[in-house]
Amino acid sequence: MSKTLIVGEIQQGVLREATLELVAAARELGGDVVSLLIGNGIGELGEELAKQGGGKVLVADNPGFESYTADAHAQAMRKAVEAESPDLILISNTPNGWDVAPKVAAALDAGIVTDVFKIEQDGDEPVFTRRLFNGKFNGRFRISGTPRIATVQPGARAPYEGSDAGSVEALDVTAASRTKVVGVKTAEAGGHDLTKAEIIVSGGRGLAKPENFKEVLQPLVEALGAQMGASRPVVDAGWLPHNYQVGSSGQIVQPKLYIAVGISGAIQHLVGMKNSNYIIAINKDPDAPIFEVADLGVVGDLFEVIPALAKAVNEAKGN
Amino acid sequence: MKKILVCLKQVPHKDARLDVRSDGSWIQDDNIKFEINDYDTYALEEALRLKDQGEAEVVVATVGPERAAQALRTALGMGADRAIHIWDDALAETDGLGIAKALAAAAKDENFDIIFTGLMSDDANCAVTGPMLAELLGIPHITAVVKTEFKNGDVEVERELEGGALEVASLPQPCLLAVQTGINEVRYASLKGIMQAKKKPLDKKDLGELGLDAAAVAPKLTVEKIFVPPKGAGAEIIEGPADEVASKLVGKIKELGLF
Repeated sequence: MSKTLIVGEIQQGVLREATLELVAAARELGGDVVSLLIGNGIGELGEELAKQGGGKVLVADNPGFESYTADAHAQAMRKAVEAESPDLILISNTPNGWDVAPKVAAALDAGIVTDVFKIEQDGDEPVFTRRLFNGKFNGRFRISGTPRIATVQPGARAPYEGSDAGSVEALDVTAASRTKVVGVKTAEAGGHDLTKAEIIVSGGRGLAKPENFKEVLQPLVEALGAQMGASRPVVDAGWLPHNYQVGSSGQIVQPKLYIAVGISGAIQHLVGMKNSNYIIAINKDPDAPIFEVADLGVVGDLFEVIPALAKAVNEAKGN
Repeated sequence: MKKILVCLKQVPHKDARLDVRSDGSWIQDDNIKFEINDYDTYALEEALRLKDQGEAEVVVATVGPERAAQALRTALGMGADRAIHIWDDALAETDGLGIAKALAAAAKDENFDIIFTGLMSDDANCAVTGPMLAELLGIPHITAVVKTEFKNGDVEVERELEGGALEVASLPQPCLLAVQTGINEVRYASLKGIMQAKKKPLDKKDLGELGLDAAAVAPKLTVEKIFVPPKGAGAEIIEGPADEVASKLVGKIKELGLF
C-alpha cells in the first residue's frame, strides 16, 4: 500500500486552500495519507488539517519556523520523510513550495516534477501532467524510484471537503537557517488599482513596442471607459510600470470584462485573470494558451482589430 | 576578487514556431532558432553589474549540445570572462537533477562566492536546477529574486511572493540566487565585445572529466509524451475582416450590459 505525504502550508495564520487541494489529490490516489505542517504556535491548525482529511498530521512547531526559509523547512521535510518513508510527497507550487521542493529532492536524491495540474494512477505508478513551454504544450511525466516529489499548481482542482478523525503528532525538529528573513513588503497598487475595475484591456508582447500601448490600446481603453493592464513581459521590458501587471506576481483581477490583446497566456498571467466574468482574447496565434480560458477568441491581427473595435464602440455609444 | 558563476541554458527562440515531434517525445528542434533563456539573461546581467562595480570574475556555464556553445559565446560577448561547456551524450535524456549534478561537479573546486541562475527555463519550465545545485554544493539559495544588494559578505535580496508582495531576506556568501525576469535591464553584446569574446576561454567538459558517469546522471524524471493542450471548452473563436469582428465584439459587450 502506497503512502502519500502532504506538505501543508500556512498563510497569514490559516491553512491555505491549496493544502486541501493536495488532500483531495492524495485521497483520490488512494493509499495512506499523512501530512506535515510547519510553523510556530500552530497546534490548532494541525488539528484542523487532521479533521479536514490530512490523516495523521505531523506538526513541526518551533519559533524558528515563524518565517519560511528553505533551510528550516527542508529540515522538517527530511525529518518527516525519515519518519514516514512516503512513496509520494505533494507540495503546493507556491513561492515557498517551489523554493524548497527542489532542495529536498536533491538532498534525498529523489525525482521531482513541478507545477503539475493532474495526477493519475497507472497501476501503482502515478503519472503527472504539467504545462511546458509557458503553456504552449502539456506533457505527461513519470518518476522512477521513491520517494517521488511533485509540486502541484494551486487552484488546479477542488479542495477536499470531507471530514475525518485524523490524528496529530509532534515532529521534533530543529529549525536552523543560514537565510534570515528581514521582513515582508506588501503590494501597493500605487494609484493603479485594477482589482475594482469593471473592464480591463490588457496588452502583451504582441503590441510589439511601448508606443503602441498609447497609440493602439489607449483609444480602446478610453472608448470602453476601461482600465489598462499588462502582461509580465511588458512590465519586465519597462514599457509599463509594475502596477499595470496582471498575474500571480501582479494584481489578481475579476472584472466583468477582460480583454487580452496580444497576450499569449503564460500560466502566471492566467492565474491573475481567469476568474474574470467574461474574457475576450485577441491573438494572431490560434494555438495561444489564452484561448483556453477565453469565452470569445479572435484569431487575427490586433493592429487591425483593435482600432476597428475602438471605432465601433465609439459609434455604438454615439461618441 | 569575487568569483561569480552564472548558469544558463539555451532554449528555443521565443518567436520560433514550435511543433511536437511525431512520436510526442519532445518538440521538433532540428531547424529552429535558439537563444539564451530569458530568465538567465537577467541572471547574467546581475553578475555583470557586480563586475562593473569592482573586481569580479564572471564565469558562465551551460549543459547542452554543440549548439549551446553559441549561448556561451553570446554571454562572453556581453562581458563574461570565461565559459564552461558541459556536454556528453549521456546527458541528452537527463533531468534537472542530472543537470544540477553536472554543474555541481564543474563548480565544486572553483569556490564561487555567488552563483546566479534564472528562476526557470522557458522550455521545460521546471524551476529546479538552481536550488538543486545549491543543495549539492552545500550553500543556501533563494528563488524569484527581484532585487539584490551586496554588503559585508551578505546579500540582501527581495523575493517575489504572490499578489505583488515581496519578502526581504539576507543570505551569507557563498550562496545561489535564482532570479526572476525584470530584475534589471539586460545589456546587448557590443560589436567590440563579440570580437573580444573570440579570445576568451571556453572549456569543454564531458562527464568523465567531471568525475561522473552515465549512471550518476540517469534521469529520475522522464517525459512520456508532450501534446498540444485541448482547447478551452467555452472559447468561441471568430475570424474575419476587422470591421465584422469589431461589430460582433460590440454586440457581445452590449449583451454583457457594459454600455
